[in-house]
Order: sequence, then C-alpha cells, then structure tokens
Amino acid sequence: MSQATLRVQKISGHAGSVPGEDTQREYTVCKLIDTTTCIGCKACEVACMEWNDLPFGETVFDNTYQTMPETRWNYWNLILFNEHEREDGSLMWLMRKNQCMHCAEPGCLAACPADGAIVQYTNGIVDFQQANCIGCGYCITGCPFDIPKMNPKTHRVFKCTLCTDRVSEGLEPACIKSCPTGCLHFGSKDDMLDLAGKRAKQLRDHSNFPKAGVYDPPGVGGTGVVYVLHDATNPELYGGLPKNPHVPLSVKLWKGPLKWLGNVAMIGGLVGLFVHYLRYGPKAREEEDLAAKPGGGKS
Amino acid sequence: MTNGWIDIKNTDMMLIMGGNPAENHPCGFKWPVEAKRTRNAKMIVVDPRFTRTASVADLFCQIRAGSDIAFLGGLIRYAIESNRIAKDYLLNYTNAAFVVKDGFKLPEDGLYSGFDAATQTYDKSTWNYEEGGDLSGKHGGGTHAPAKPAPVKDGKPSPPHLPENVAYDLTLQHPNCVFQLLRKQYSRYTPEMVERITGVPKDQFLKAADLFTSIRKDGDTKKVATIIYAVGWTQHTSGTQTIRTAAMLQLLLGNVGRSGGGVNALRGHSNIQGATDMAGIFEILPGYLKVPVPTDTGFKAYLERITPKSAKPHIWDSWNYWSNTPKFAVSFMKAMYGDAATKQNDWAFHYLPKVDRNYSWAYIWDDMYRGSVKGLFAFGMNGVAIGPDSNKNIEALKKADWLVVGEIYPDETSEFWKSPGITQDEMKRIQTTVYRLPCAGFAEKDGAFVNSARWLQWKNAALPPPGDAKVDQEILARIFLKVRELYQKEGGKFPDAILHATWSYTNPQNPALAEVAKEINGKALADIQDPVTKQEIKAGQQLPGYAWLKDDGTTSSGNWLYSGSFTEAGNMMARRGTEDPSGLGIYPNWAFSWPANRRVMYNRASCDLEGKPWDPSRKQVWWNEATQKWAGNDVPDFKADSKPKDHMGPFIMNPEGVGRLFVPIGAVADGPFPEHYEPIESPIENPLHPQQSNNPIVKKFKTDSDKYGTSKDYNIVCTTYRLTEHYHYWTKNNPMNVQLVPEPFVEIPAELANDMGLRGGEKVKVTSARGNYVAKAMVTKRIKAMTIDGRKTYQIGVPIHWGYRGIAEDEGKTAKTAANILSPTVIDPNAWTPEFKGFLVKLEKA
Amino acid sequence: MSPSEQSIPHGHVLRYNLRERLTHWVAAAAYIYLLSTGLAFWSPWLFWLAAALGGAQVSRMLHPWAGLLFFASVWNMYVMWARQMKYTDDDRKWWKAVKYYSTNQDDKMPPAGRYNAGQKFLFWGFFWSSLLLLLSGIIMWSPQYFAWHSLIAMRISVLIHASAALFTMGLFMIHLYMGLFAERGAFGSVIRGDVSIAFAKRYHPAWYKEIVGESSSPRK
Repeated sequence: MSQATLRVQKISGHAGSVPGEDTQREYTVCKLIDTTTCIGCKACEVACMEWNDLPFGETVFDNTYQTMPETRWNYWNLILFNEHEREDGSLMWLMRKNQCMHCAEPGCLAACPADGAIVQYTNGIVDFQQANCIGCGYCITGCPFDIPKMNPKTHRVFKCTLCTDRVSEGLEPACIKSCPTGCLHFGSKDDMLDLAGKRAKQLRDHSNFPKAGVYDPPGVGGTGVVYVLHDATNPELYGGLPKNPHVPLSVKLWKGPLKWLGNVAMIGGLVGLFVHYLRYGPKAREEEDLAAKPGGGKS
Repeated sequence: MTNGWIDIKNTDMMLIMGGNPAENHPCGFKWPVEAKRTRNAKMIVVDPRFTRTASVADLFCQIRAGSDIAFLGGLIRYAIESNRIAKDYLLNYTNAAFVVKDGFKLPEDGLYSGFDAATQTYDKSTWNYEEGGDLSGKHGGGTHAPAKPAPVKDGKPSPPHLPENVAYDLTLQHPNCVFQLLRKQYSRYTPEMVERITGVPKDQFLKAADLFTSIRKDGDTKKVATIIYAVGWTQHTSGTQTIRTAAMLQLLLGNVGRSGGGVNALRGHSNIQGATDMAGIFEILPGYLKVPVPTDTGFKAYLERITPKSAKPHIWDSWNYWSNTPKFAVSFMKAMYGDAATKQNDWAFHYLPKVDRNYSWAYIWDDMYRGSVKGLFAFGMNGVAIGPDSNKNIEALKKADWLVVGEIYPDETSEFWKSPGITQDEMKRIQTTVYRLPCAGFAEKDGAFVNSARWLQWKNAALPPPGDAKVDQEILARIFLKVRELYQKEGGKFPDAILHATWSYTNPQNPALAEVAKEINGKALADIQDPVTKQEIKAGQQLPGYAWLKDDGTTSSGNWLYSGSFTEAGNMMARRGTEDPSGLGIYPNWAFSWPANRRVMYNRASCDLEGKPWDPSRKQVWWNEATQKWAGNDVPDFKADSKPKDHMGPFIMNPEGVGRLFVPIGAVADGPFPEHYEPIESPIENPLHPQQSNNPIVKKFKTDSDKYGTSKDYNIVCTTYRLTEHYHYWTKNNPMNVQLVPEPFVEIPAELANDMGLRGGEKVKVTSARGNYVAKAMVTKRIKAMTIDGRKTYQIGVPIHWGYRGIAEDEGKTAKTAANILSPTVIDPNAWTPEFKGFLVKLEKA
Repeated sequence: MSPSEQSIPHGHVLRYNLRERLTHWVAAAAYIYLLSTGLAFWSPWLFWLAAALGGAQVSRMLHPWAGLLFFASVWNMYVMWARQMKYTDDDRKWWKAVKYYSTNQDDKMPPAGRYNAGQKFLFWGFFWSSLLLLLSGIIMWSPQYFAWHSLIAMRISVLIHASAALFTMGLFMIHLYMGLFAERGAFGSVIRGDVSIAFAKRYHPAWYKEIVGESSSPRK
C-alpha cells in the first residue's frame, strides 16, 4: 500500500471533501485480459500469492481444474474454468482470470461505512486500507462481482490491490508480469481499450468468433479491468460474469432514498418532539400535580 | 527442435499433436499465441483430450491414444492426392526421386520385406537404394543393375551399406522410386481408414487435412507450417515412427529448415535436451557418437562402422557432415583420457566399455528385477514413480543390495520399502541398504540448461545449498575419487580406464562447472592452423568451434556439438544479447545454440535451388553472388562456398544430403516408412492388417511382473500426462502447487460416468493388468466417447503427479500409489521409450 | 420479586419489580450502545461516535454482541409482558382517542390497563424490530465462509437492518420523550419500581383498579 505517488480521489465513509479529488492530471490504469489467449496456466494466481506474500490455504478437488470455487481473502486472483458447448457441437473451455474489476464507480466503496477503509486513487485503482476496515462486510454486499472477502479471524476484508505498490513505482501488476502467453496487458485505459478493440476485431474477422467483443461495463462506470471475450453477448458463460453489472439496488436504496428518508425522519422526529413539548409540555408539571388533576385523587 | 521456441512466431500453421504445450510448456507457448495474434496463424490440436492447448486452437480433433501414425499417414495421403506438396523441394531436397531396391516390400500384410519371425527382427538388406544412375523412363523390370550379393569379408558378409551412386528418377514416375512407394504406402490411409483407427470422424479429419495443407494450396511456396509434439508421441511403441511420419509430412510440404516450420520436439524437463546431447543414453557417447560394440575390434573398425559414406545421385553433391566423425571421436578420446590417449594405443579405445545389448531404462529395472543389477544410483529422478509398472520397480529395488538416492526431498524411490501394501514384517525382510544424499536444488547450482531450442543457457546459483546438501558434481567427484583411490590401492580387474581418466580440475573434489564446460567445448593441444585463413590457435587455447577439431590428437573436445559454447572470448552460454536485426527472433547473441550457434537447422532448405529464400519476408540465409558465399541472418547450416549449381543437399547430416522420406538400411528398426501398429494393449485389432496388429519387432518383457491386458478384460483406453500446476513428482512437496491442485484425479468422459452412475468427486478405481489406482473422478465433457473400428470406445486420463511422499500424502490425504502402477513395461524399438501413453484399463466405482 | 419484598413508600404502588427494571436497563444500555455505533455506521457525519466509543473496529466488534444482549433482554420482556401486551377492544378505543392523549387531555382517554395501547405498540414495535434486527444482523454477521452464506440475503439484510433500526429509533425517541419529559414519574418507575397512586390512577386506572382489587390491603 505504498502511496508514494498515489492520490486519493474517493474515500469511503468520509465526511467532507477528498484530498486528491480534482487535483491530478493522470491517466487511468487498466488491465486487459484477453480470455481468447488465456491458457489457464495459473501463473497469475501464483504470482499474486508470491508478490503479496499471501498465506496458503487448503483446497479440495471439486471436479474441475479451477483452484477453488471463488476468490478468498487470501486468494485474490482466480482463473475460472467453464466448459461450454457451442451450437455446432464443438467444445469451448473458457478460462477467465477473475479478480477485482476496479470499477470507476465502485459499489464496495459506496457501501463502506468506515472512514478511509476503501479508497480510489486518481489512477483508478480501488484499494482497501485494512487499517481502517471495521469488518462490517458491507463492501461485500456492494460488489456486483462478488470479489471482496473477509478474513474470518481478523474481520478485515481483502481483495486485489492491482498491485498498488508496484504500480506506484511504475511497474506492472505481478499477474501481468507473470503471464506467459501475453494474454494479460497493462497500461492506460485508452490504450487497453484500443488494444482490446483491435483484438476483438481480429477475432471477428479471422477466427470463428463473430460475436467477439470487449467487456467494459458502463453500469459501474467502466472497469479498470477489461476483457476480450469470444462472445461478448454472453459474458455469463465465463463463470457468471454479469452482463450488466451495477452497484446493487440494496446499496443504492440504502445509500440513497433510505439514508435521506432516515435522516429526515430522525431530525424531523427530534424537532417534532421538541415542538410538541413546547406546545403541550408535560402531562403533569410535577408529580404532586397529579393529585390535583381531575380523575386523580388521594386515597 | 529443428527450429526453436521463438521461431514458432513466424509460422502460418501449427499442428500440435502428441503434446500439450499450453499446460506443459506454458512459457514457450507464448510463441504459438504470438503467431496467432500477429500472423493470424491457425492452430490445429490433435489430442486424446480437449486440453488447455485445445482451448485456444482453431480446430480440435479428439484422437485415440496411440493412433497418431494413422492420422499423419492420412495427412500424407491427402497432401499427395490433393497435390498440396512442395514439388521443387520434394524433388531436390528429399530422397523422393531415389529408386529403392527391387526386393523391397511394403507392409500391406503388416510386415516389410526381410522379417524373421523367430528372432522378431528384420533383415534390412532390401531396405536400400538401387545402385546406378538416372532411371527416368526406365521402369520396366530388370532395366537396372541386378542386386549384387553382399561382398564377403573374413567369411562374414559385411553389413549392408548405402550405394555410393544412387539410382534416381527425377520424373518421380519409377514404380520403385521413393515417392511412388510413399504414395502407395499411404494410399491405404484413406479418411475412412483414419476414422476407423483414430476415431476422428471423417469430416473432421478432412477439415484438419484441408486446413493443414492449405499452406500449399495452388502451388504456394511462401507459407510455412510447423509441427509441435512432445512425449505424447514418443511414449508409444510407435514413438519414433510417429515422429518420422511428421518429418515426412513436413518434407513433403517443404517445411523443414524454414523459419516457422520444422519438426519441433518440446522437451519436458529443463535440461532433457542436454542430457541427450551429453549421452544420457546407453547407446551413444556425447555428441551422438555411437557407442562401441563388442565387434568393434579396434578404433579403426569402430570408426569404419560409425562413419557414413556419402550416397547420392551422381549429378548431385552431398557434404555428409558425419564423415567428420573421426575428428569428433578422437577429440572426445583426448578429452576423456588426455595424454593416456595416443595414436599408438588407438586413442585408448579399449578403455571404453563395449555395449553388448540393450541397457535402456526398462532393461535396467528388468535386470534388477531378475537380480543381475545389484545397486542403483538414482540422481535427479524418481524411478519408482516414473515407472513404467511402478510395482515392478519396487520389487526390483527390494532385490538390490544397495540404493543411493541423491534428491532434495524424500521420494517414492528412496522410500520404496514403505510403499503401500508392504507389511511391517516384509519391511524387516527387505535388505536393500538405502543411502540418501541430500542434493542441491536447481536454484542452488550453476551450469547450463539446454532447452528445447538447443540453446545452452548458462545460469548462476541463486543461493547456496542448505545444510549438508551438496551439488551433484561434488558428490560425483568424491565418489569417483574414492573409487579411483581403491583402484590405485587394490588394482582390480581393469583399473586403466579409471586411473587414466583426466581429472584436471582446480578443485578435484568439487569441480567448477565452468571448468567442465570449457573441457566439453574443447581446446587445442598443440598449435594448429586453418589451412585456408591461416588463422592460428595456440596450444591450450579454447576452440572457437567444431570445425577446428582434428583426428590427429591435436584437439580435445568432450562433445563436438557443444564446441563453440566456451571459447577464448568467454562463456558463450552466458551471453544475453537481445539484438534481433532480422526480426525473425533469431537473437544470435543470446546464449549459444548448437550446432555452431545456429538457430534453425537445415536452413539451406529455406531457399530455392538458386539460393533465394522461398519467402522473401522470412530471410534466414541466402546465396550471395558477390561474395560467392552463403550469408544469412542465421548461421547457414551449409558448406559456406557450395554454389547452388553444385546441387549440394541441404540435409548435410544425411549421407544422401537430402531429407529421408524413405529411411534406408537400419536407421530405424521397424520399417523404412512408418506403418500404423496398434499399441501393445489396444481395444481393437489393427484394421490395416488384423493378423499383424502390433509392431512385429516389439518384444514384451517376460518376468512374472510383466502382465499385459487384452480388450476382453480391459475395455477402456488410458493415457497418462502431466498438469501445468505440477512438476513431475516434486511439487507435491510445495504448498503452492498443492494448493493449486490438491489431489489426484482421473479424467472420465461424462458419457461413461453417466453409464456407470458416477459423479464428479466420487472415488473411482482404475485397474490395469498390473495394478490399480484409486482417485477422485473428474467427470468432463472434454473427453468424448469415440467410435473405433465401429465400436464405442472410451478413453480416460490419469495425471501422474502423486505417490506416497509429499505434503498431502504425508498427511494421509491423497493417493498412496503412483499412477505408473498402471503402465506396461514395453518399449519403442528405436528409442526404447516405454508406452506410458496408451494402454488398457477397466473402471469401477471405488 | 414480590411486592412484599420491596418497601414501597406511602401513597405509592409497585409498577416494575426488580427483574423488570433490570431487564429494562440492560435493554436500554445495549440499545444506546447499538444506536450510537449504528449511527456511526449509518453516516460518515456521525462516524465520530464510533471513535468516541473506542474506535470503529471495537464498535463493529461489539455491536453484534450488544445486539444479542439487547435481543436477550427484549426476549425476557416478551416472556414477562407478552400476556399483558395483548391487544384489547379498549386499546382500539384508546387509539381512536389518541389525539387527546397527545394533547395531554388524558381525562378524555378510555381507561388504560397496566399498559396503554401506545405502550403496547412500543413493545411490539421493539419486539418485532428486534427480531428483524437479530435475523438480518446474524446474516450480516455470519461470515462469508459459512456454507449458507448468501450475497442476496446479505444485501436484503442490510436494508432490513437499517429500516428496522430506523423504526426503533422512532419508537425510542417517543419512548424517551414520554418517559423523561411527558410523563413525570414514569422515569422513577423504572428506577425505583414504584409510582404514586395518583400516577397509577391517572395513566393506568384500569390497572390500578386491578391491583387494588387483587390485594385487599394496598399499601397506603
């Protein structure tokens, strides 16, 4: 979490303005994952474990080559394996490297109540600051990609940092560095979208993938990780990549109408009661008054 | 590899078969991907399973394990019938026009001419070229010279040899010319036959054939296709011949020697190429010099036997580079024995062991099983787990007196006495003394790795070995010195070979590998001079290359192929120049590539007859009219001043000078053309010739441990393989790898699992004639039911990585037996590789 | 604790025995803690509350435990009071006349028992809210690694938890207002346990009648 050259443009659970907002002329960084040249070798999984010194966990054979069913707090980068039969009967074995998508409009950050537990740097990286994390798990509910995971012992939530420590020093993330086939690229968002678009066009023109395209979902403001897919019209095939991800309705409701409604109700209630007291006062001024009132009486 | 990893990026078409590079060579696989990305190259993957390589292929064909020759033979037929061949290349750079002896017979019945059923061997005298000149238009019977009887010398007929003046027909019409025989041989490999044998449906096969040969569509000579394979081809009783078929297909299409082409073996270990180059096999000396045999009465006789004489049409030229064998051999003897090797004593030839029979892997264990091998040094390999027939190997070790294991982990071999099923009582009865020597891991050693691309790459030690662990050379040196001391003290039967071996290292107890590397490169023992350039090399100086080697004892070299790797200019293997002026990925200043830092072998064939590149956009070498020399971005693999009009063949290592579609005499043991034979354990009788189903010269082993199953009892084809997540039997000791794939499994077609009522994750028992293996089932659509010769047939796959020692194994979590408990001891008759990749099993729920 | 075990001053009757008072204050303490920490998580503007209570991590850690305690006390109330909290026809009448209650014209109110309909509403409101808070809280608390973890359940729970909490806050404000400001004497009843007979007669005449009828010699 070196922040030497990183400035924060969004902070979770923070009252007031954000120090880095609008302060820096910087391009957004982006990871390009070309699923059509991914061979599922898991070098990126290992590199992620190694670079981040993540502790090993236990896995169990689950009728698949996939290392584990989903990412874990100590396993941020997981290739999802899916067998898919095309209409012509031919088989596809789809492999998608799954990790934090670094959304431009991160649902996790929106949902997080803890001041500074989730930040977005001006280069677009969404990073968790475990020192500030309170372990409420709201970010988990806010993520449309089911990425953040909680360490059950420490109740801190973890996910891919896009190797902020490397990126801030001008290096590519560890997964990119390790990829043997060049299916992973790293650079500015514009460059990656350009590269991705060209590759998708190549797939449409020269391979049997007329529906090839780029995945950069607008529902979350675009992502800091974009995919080239053989079939961009069916991202769900790739281990349930949502077709149109957005910050979940619950988070939107909670952070939007409910919050306003609640605030208004709370303040309104306080004010109302105060006014009531001013207007009507107590039911009886002193305890003794009770006796004087009609209906009361001494025995 | 004829070419190299990086060169694959220059291809237009890839046939990946018998290999799974995405999983087993993921780093090298960047180049096939690069070719797809930058050249829109097509990739065809043919494999028993839909692998991770298949997942990025343009076309996938599921083939029955062990039927590759049928598929490739079908491709040869398709290429010829649809006229998608490189005609000029075929005519001039291969032996297509050579006329074969009259008595030669193709194996329509499964046997070539000359078979002796009693000994299961061939008399190969008819597997030869006809002698004489141009036979074009003369193909009536008896127009050419009658076969001469073999000349008799010392009462014994001398072994058959190639005629110096080979008969030929440049019209390729002679019925006995290689091309016509080839066409006839593979005319039987129709798409229907391919489907019957391989299980690849006809329409799919035709799609693959059309795609692969499309590079020669309409007479195109610019495009190039490559064939990439690994042990999925070699580990069969038909292994060598499968690779031969691929080579023939590539010669037919004119793809050998060309950038983006070739026949490319992916080596499965970081230094397996180096092990082969340095004679990690019983039948060769370093640099592929043949090992002496008992009939080599002296050095002269030995050289005569192993030095080929050029054999070609008289109108052509042949360099026959192996004619330099005496220089390589004498220099080798000087490296081995130094001053003790003199011309007078036949260069100490009698010090060398004479190999009287087969001592390959399977035979070593067979001998130990039979009790004649009493001890074993196991360094850097896990013999029990490697198999085949792990149980036989365990039984063999029980009978040995001693076993020395040099390893970084306790493994199945060093703890064979603890293998599953051995009782406490039995354990007490095992008398084998096991010495475990802690060794250094790869990162704790320097030295050179030779990769698949034949690059010798020097590496440095990253850290010292821990504790008492020692580097290999120290262990070997100290054993050697101790043995020599004993010979010095006690004499013994034949001490000279040990006492006179050179051992002139600065630290004899622990020789620096750089010193050994210099010795292998070779040096001048006296001042020598190049007669043409007058360049001089002083005594004691390192040689710049093997062209300097002499047969008069003035040079020494431990391996002629590596000469040039450590010169006066320093350690060429440690070079890391990243210049690539041609853009072809040649990187001439990166490390050292044998031979002579040449990146693509036979690169003369990348040019037409005039010496101009077939494809001007991929210029490797060319004939320079101005200098009258061959020039190139790569080092020309050719006689530098041989004019194109002299018609010297580009395949300089063959005495013919051309590529061999037909392999004469005895270079391969089981036929001049490859023929499809069924694996020893096969679900069907060979549809080509049911009466001769298997390779006729393959011998089964005969101990009581060697059992072979039939399709009556075992109905499922099983193949074994590695996973990308693990490295052989080592990484089960590494928590990272264990986390990636924690448990052994068996890949089972969904349809078969359905028939059995088996669900993914349930335990399943795989049983072969030799043993059984229990693991969890991976039920997958990636293996489909096949129709083989009309019968519904299933294939399953067993990854090999587990055993009874490792993190999970020690916790009692995973399989306790090695996968190779299943595989049979039966070997390829040419390379002696066991048939790990296709045998029969049955499957039950466990 | 029976009335006889506690000395009641002259002119007073026992309204809440010790168990009831203890329960109330455990619930109150837990609720106030829950409210403060909950509000800290509700809005960045109130995050300082968590800091004041020992830090956000501690707050997050203790909040669910306090929640359990709160629910336990609510459950105890349920056990103690559920029967007395039954809605009756009188309560319906009370609701119809609630405008008199809120404008301090208590004499126009139908006679209330031990608990008037408003108090019953408060009770049931808290009870059901607590149940919802407990269930949604446990779902949110339950870590991801539980087999039954469900993202959707968690998302719904976040909404329910916040909504239910908001609802209780409304109840809580009224409760506080009534107890501290509107009904003088009520506060004392959860401290000392007794109320003046006048208080009882005024606010809970039916209850007063009942206890007088019950006991032939009410303390005077």
